[in-house]
This record gives sequence, C-alpha cells and structure tokens, in this order.
Amino acid sequence: MKITFPHLGNLYIAAESLLKGLGHEPVTPPPTSRRTLELGSYHSPDEVCLPFKISLGNMLEGLAQGADGVLMIGGWGPCRLGYYAEIQRLILKAFGKQVEFITLEVPRGRWGEYLGRFRTLTASTDLRTFWQGARLSWVKLKAVEELELHAVSAQPREKNEGTVRPYLRRQLELLRTAQTVDEVQEICDAASRGFRELQAHDAVRPLRLGLVGEIYTVLEPFANLRLEERLGSLGVEVVRTISLVEWVRNHIFKKAVGLYSLAPLRRLAAGYLRGFIGGHGLESVARSVALARQNLDGIVHILPLSCMPEIVARAILPRISEDHGIPVLSLIVDEHTAEAGFQTRLEAFVDLVQRRVERFEGQRQARLSGS
Amino acid sequence: MESICLPVKAFVGHVIFLVRHGLSLLLVPQLISVFRREWTCANLLGLPDLVRQYVSEDVRLLTPVLDARRRVSQHAWAYLRMGLEFSPPARVLRAWQRARDAQQEYDESRIPPAPSRGALHVLLLGPHYVAADPYLNGNLRAKLAELGVQVSIAADFPEPLTAEGCRYLRKRPYWTNTRRSIGSLEYCRDAIDGVISAAPFGCGAEAMQSVLISSHISEAPLPHLQLFVDEHSGTAGLETRLEAFCDLLERKRNG
Repeated sequence: MKITFPHLGNLYIAAESLLKGLGHEPVTPPPTSRRTLELGSYHSPDEVCLPFKISLGNMLEGLAQGADGVLMIGGWGPCRLGYYAEIQRLILKAFGKQVEFITLEVPRGRWGEYLGRFRTLTASTDLRTFWQGARLSWVKLKAVEELELHAVSAQPREKNEGTVRPYLRRQLELLRTAQTVDEVQEICDAASRGFRELQAHDAVRPLRLGLVGEIYTVLEPFANLRLEERLGSLGVEVVRTISLVEWVRNHIFKKAVGLYSLAPLRRLAAGYLRGFIGGHGLESVARSVALARQNLDGIVHILPLSCMPEIVARAILPRISEDHGIPVLSLIVDEHTAEAGFQTRLEAFVDLVQRRVERFEGQRQARLSGS
Repeated sequence: MESICLPVKAFVGHVIFLVRHGLSLLLVPQLISVFRREWTCANLLGLPDLVRQYVSEDVRLLTPVLDARRRVSQHAWAYLRMGLEFSPPARVLRAWQRARDAQQEYDESRIPPAPSRGALHVLLLGPHYVAADPYLNGNLRAKLAELGVQVSIAADFPEPLTAEGCRYLRKRPYWTNTRRSIGSLEYCRDAIDGVISAAPFGCGAEAMQSVLISSHISEAPLPHLQLFVDEHSGTAGLETRLEAFCDLLERKRNG
C-alpha cells in the first residue's frame, strides 16, 4: 500500500524508513507550504487549531501524489490532537476520498477493529525486514535530532553568516537516503566535525533563550515561521525543551508498559500548576521553571491560537517570569500570522533580553571593582 | 486574560467579585472528569491554578479533585475528604448521602422531551454553562420561546441514552459534553426540526463537534445554525440570525 503521513519537522526521514520496513511504499507529502495550509484550511472547520489544518493539508497533498492510505496518530484526550484523526477521516470521506485511514493509538474497546488496522499495517512484511526498518527508523530519528541540536548551537557562533542552515539541510538530505545504521553513524560523525568547522572559536557567549510550548508548533518550522532559524540569525542560542526522541520514548515505549510518570514535571510545576491539563500545558509550565532555575536569559513560549492547555499555561507564565526574574515572550500562531510582525516581536524581545543581560553584567562589574 | 473562553472569563469574574466582597475561602473544584474514560475540558483542568493568578495569597481555595476517569466512586471520596476538614465524619456522611439522593432524583427526573407536533422543535447544543446561562448566550432560549420554538438542551437527556447514542461513531468522543451533544442529537434527530449549537469562541471540543454534527446530518439534511459567543457578541445580530433560522425551519416544515 502507498501510505502518506502528515509532516512534523523532520520526522519524515524516520517515518519513511519505518514504512519501508513495514513493506509499504511511503509517499512523503511535499514540504509544508502556503498551499498546504490553504488546502487544509479550506476543508477544516474555522475554529480548529493550526496543526489540524496543516496536517490535513499534508494528507491531501500526499493523496494527490497517489497515496491510498494515511498514517496518523491518535490519543485519548483531553487535547484535541487525539481526535484529529477521526475528524480528518470524516472530512476526507465527505470529500469523496476513499482512503485507508490507519490511526496509531493505545487501543480502547473494539479490539477487533484495532487488530484489523494492525494487520493492514503489517500485512506485507516479515519480522526480519520489520525489525531492520524499525531499528533504522529509530536511529535516524535520533540522528536527525542530534544534527538539529548541533545546528541550534552552531548558528549563533557561525563564522560566515548563513552557512549553518544550508549545511544542516544537506546533511538531512544525506540522512534521508542512508540505508544502514552504520551509514547513519558516519553521517553523524562527519556532520559533527562539519558543524565545528563552521563555528568561530572566539565567538562571544550568545544569548540563551529557552523554547517551550505546544509540541507541533515547536517542532514544525512552517508552523512557527522558522522560529529557531530566526532566533539563530539574531545571535541567540535556542535551548530546546521538547524533543521528539524523548516524546517517542516517553509516550510510546514507556507509556505502553506504564513506566511513564508525570511526577518530576509536577514537582517542577508545584505552586503554579497542580497536574496534567492536556497536551503540553504542564510541560510548558514545568520546563519554564526548570529553565528559569538554569539561569537562562529568557523564555520563548509558542502556541497555536485556541490551544486550550497552552492558554492555561500562558496565563501562568507571567507569574513564573515575575517570581524568577526571567523575561517571557508568548507567541500565538495561526494561519494569519504575518512574517514581518513576527520578526519585529522577536527582534524587540531579543533586544530587551540583551539589554537586561548587559545591565546585570555592568552591575556585576561595578560591584567587583567597588569591593 | 485574552484568548481564553467566555465561561472561564465569567467564572474568574465571579471569583473576583466574591473576593472583593471579603470572602476568604472559595470552593473551586478541579473537575477533571465526571464519567469513566471521559474528560471535562482542558480549561476546567487548569481552572484552580488559573483562578490562583487573580486572587491574593490570603484567599484560600478549597480544591477537591474530582476525577472519575477510572471509577466514578472517586467523587465520593473527594467530597468526603473535603467535608472532613469542617465537620465530624457522621455529619459529612449524612450530607453526602443527602447530596447523592438529590442528584439521583434529578437524574431520574430527566426524561427525554417528547416532540410536539405543533410548535417547531429545536435542539440546542453546546457547553451547559453557555446553554443554561441567559447572560452568556444572549438570552437565546427566551428569544426562541418568543418565536414560538420549543427548545431542548443536551442536559435534558439521561446520560445512558446519550452514551448509547454515540455507539455509531468509530471513536467515541472523550469529552463529556461532546458525547452528550452527539448522543442526544442521534437520539432525537427524527423528532426535531433543526439544531443550534452555541459555543464559546475558541472552544476546542466544539470545533471538532461541528464536523461530527455535519457528518451526522449529511445523509438526512437537518438545518444547523452555529453560533459562537464571546464578550463582543451583540444581541441584534443574534436576533436576526435566529429569526432567519426559524423562518427557514417554518418553510421547510410546510414543504
């Protein structure tokens, strides 16, 4: 079966390997673009959040390229994401598309149906190919994240402006075509040297801003208007708190065997939020506290319009900002977010943080020379 | 507090009003779930912490955690624990039993409304807070009554009926309110002339629900009016839309 799937950052690299291992032909939709969003918005209800519209657009573009199946993740709430797949299936059906819709989620009731879905997914594979595909996919997922992290720290220190991001794109392209685990390892090693060469060694310490928020808008460059890249070119090192590898490890491997615990996050968020509120709400609050304790220069919080868990987090962040003395910028994105306004807000925030850091530095110097 | 939904804004407004009038102990339960395997909504999950942002430290919030995701009996324990802070066990137990009986009586008194052949009959869907509060919904129900329309809301239907009504879906909605709405629509679709859904602007579950409703009524078309309320909603526009909708229903009925 030809299977398409929605984009999430560079997840497609790992997803392709996984689907190949399952004996299917992956149909990766074209990179998310304005057209994807318009296509998705046209078929979505108005009030639904941005990730829904983009992922629906991805599916439609993938189907237009000849896919006859869709792979999507599900869940059991309270975030809307868990119900995306079902609604998207209904929309595609109303639209007259006959597609096999495969939702990956923890089964609940109706075991026969889940078993059927699992069978369609694994129909044309043997255990050996599947294992190789799954292993390659996991290794690639980790490699992609490693490269991205290299880029995030290299970009504010780059020797020649605008060299790191194109280099990252080239390496990701190599990674996509890699066939074996060893090949992936080689690419990673070469890239880590490559990134080092692109950096100036006498660079000043860049500003460090933490990035928290809803996972899709944090990881998908189209949805956040290439936020990391923009911050990088403003000379900021972005400290990520959301990692796809961790997400898969926690929500798929650990949760399946009941080992995932929210206790560390709850401890961090104590006094601000008492527990899980769906989506990444608790994580946004807890990670912000953690970032503040690590003495970062500021926090950028990003969320899609009308994302309920993040709205609650957003109402709480100002108090964390006040208590810990750390500037926080909340950015809401939707399909109408304009680039110019977004860039201006980022620049203004970076300016503010820069001046704060300089002022503190000045005070520290004065104290040192005074005593 | 922009971008949060209207009912929560109203709730925080009530809280601030009460605190200004000198109250120092407020009951703000954390309503996680009222039925097994269902959620209320993300905003309600964070409500006590949200309220905390708007009241000073010396106001105490009483926050029992009501979470029936695993078993509904958890509610009993939450109430009992809360009561023990104020009264001896025997008295708490009596109060709980009285409350439970009252709830049961209410549940049993809910019989699905019978269709009347005379007047137009409309099903009003949406979060109960919006459907029931005349100020938040722009006095919707009174206006419909003026137009001679009989209105049912999802809360008029007994819970087992609405749970049964969702059976046809491949995946059961995990928000209690959506399950109630879709279930009651499925139950009474042949007896009603139209559906009105009134939701707060920015409500996550409602956006999903609109697709469920439209796919549900796609085979046998049923007029559906979708209203979103926020603090900027005007009453004149609402009246015009309701009148137009009722005209449409009237014309449809007379063929």
